[in-house]
Amino acid sequence: MTPLLALLFLLVAATGTGVALSRNPKRQVLAMSANGMALALLFMALQAPDVAFAEIAVGTAAIPLLFLAVLASIRMDHGPHGTPKE
Amino acid sequence: MTGWLDVLPWAVAAWLLGIGLYGVVTSRNVVHLIGCLSVVQGATYVLLLSVGFRTGGIAPVFYAKPPSTSAVDPVTHAMVLTDVVVGATVTALLLALVLQLHKRRGTLDPEELRPMRPK
Amino acid sequence: MSAATPRGMSPRMRLVLFALAVLAVLPGVVHVAGHMPQFGAHPLPYGDAINAAAPPERHVTNMTSAVNFDYRGFDTLGEEFMLLCAVTGVTVLLRGGRGEGTAGRPGRTGHRPVLPRTDAVVLTARAGAGVLLLFGFYVALHAMTTPGGGFQGGVILASGMLLVFLGDGYAAWRRVVRSEAMDACEGLGATLFALCGFAGVLLGLPFGQNILPLGTIGDLFAGGLMLVENAGVTMAVGGGFLVVFIEFLEETRVVPGADER
Repeated sequence: MTPLLALLFLLVAATGTGVALSRNPKRQVLAMSANGMALALLFMALQAPDVAFAEIAVGTAAIPLLFLAVLASIRMDHGPHGTPKE
Repeated sequence: MTGWLDVLPWAVAAWLLGIGLYGVVTSRNVVHLIGCLSVVQGATYVLLLSVGFRTGGIAPVFYAKPPSTSAVDPVTHAMVLTDVVVGATVTALLLALVLQLHKRRGTLDPEELRPMRPK
Repeated sequence: MSAATPRGMSPRMRLVLFALAVLAVLPGVVHVAGHMPQFGAHPLPYGDAINAAAPPERHVTNMTSAVNFDYRGFDTLGEEFMLLCAVTGVTVLLRGGRGEGTAGRPGRTGHRPVLPRTDAVVLTARAGAGVLLLFGFYVALHAMTTPGGGFQGGVILASGMLLVFLGDGYAAWRRVVRSEAMDACEGLGATLFALCGFAGVLLGLPFGQNILPLGTIGDLFAGGLMLVENAGVTMAVGGGFLVVFIEFLEETRVVPGADER
């Protein structure tokens, strides 16, 4: 267990805690991006380049985009699609 | 000291599972809940890849090195690879359900969403 | 008529139950973590067997792709169809509630001003989209030799198409990415993967048997049937992710005529 590997494990634990403890969804999206990047770095250090590829593309680009689109759609006033309860 | 460091991968996986579940249990917003579910998925990835790791092994690609070089386990890599991509799609399905939930009930708070009862 | 319906579990009660569950499971977790095999010692024989057997048997150098498409190809078939089902679920939920038409203008939230795109953003996005598409194609093509494959290449291709949205706006993006084309792409990819499995059955061999010539090791087009399965996975993953992106971004648009009440 090299120091780099131990540091990356701790970084993943820290960013994961950050995701779970950010109550505001908008801030949580950025925390999820950071968690995805930390996971991808850990996967690279664990000699898994295939998995790191997939995790970078999915965890930092695709998933935060979906969350941001959902948050934007929720904040919009939808009108005839369904009236939000006040 | 080395004893404590060797337990670190399993401890981090258990910690991520625990903190993700804590986020799910105490969540006040369904979108935040889905984010915590992705943390729990990350715990699975960490555990699988730590089990397959071999000290001093190269990545399981023998393009530049001869095939008899000591390499890490490719089976756990294959498991995590498909898991990452399909997990993202299932998260998308959960988010679509959240959108429908907001349109029907108008609220995103799990405390205020009770099961539907027959009138 | 019943009286006040029960409130359900209170948050404090739920947290107490969670703490009790954690306390009950914690000794087991500590015991297992202390008795796990040494990190890096790697006692599993299956991975070593594949590392030793796959290069001479299948003529590929990327072991993860060999496991995904050949040795455990049946699992990947299941994953493919899981992806197909999840994307179908998203489409049914979102497009079913909204209809098939492409809406007119972006929705507004609050009174934040929307700045027009600068030339630097447009240029960078256009250049970056081309480079990313080429890179995604390269990663998907080199599945058998270097790290990469259909799953990674498909996601990179979908992300590359997103740069077109960033640089040129929603209307331009929808002109390039048509939802019918992406639906067809995804369905074709999953069908191709399933047909590759059945190709062996038609010849009397087991399901998923590698029936194409294997080629030489280290060559780009080695691996036989794995290449066709890889192409199927690329199309399915890329098309699936783009369908999901289209559905979610379409949710942030408003139909112009429906705002008057």
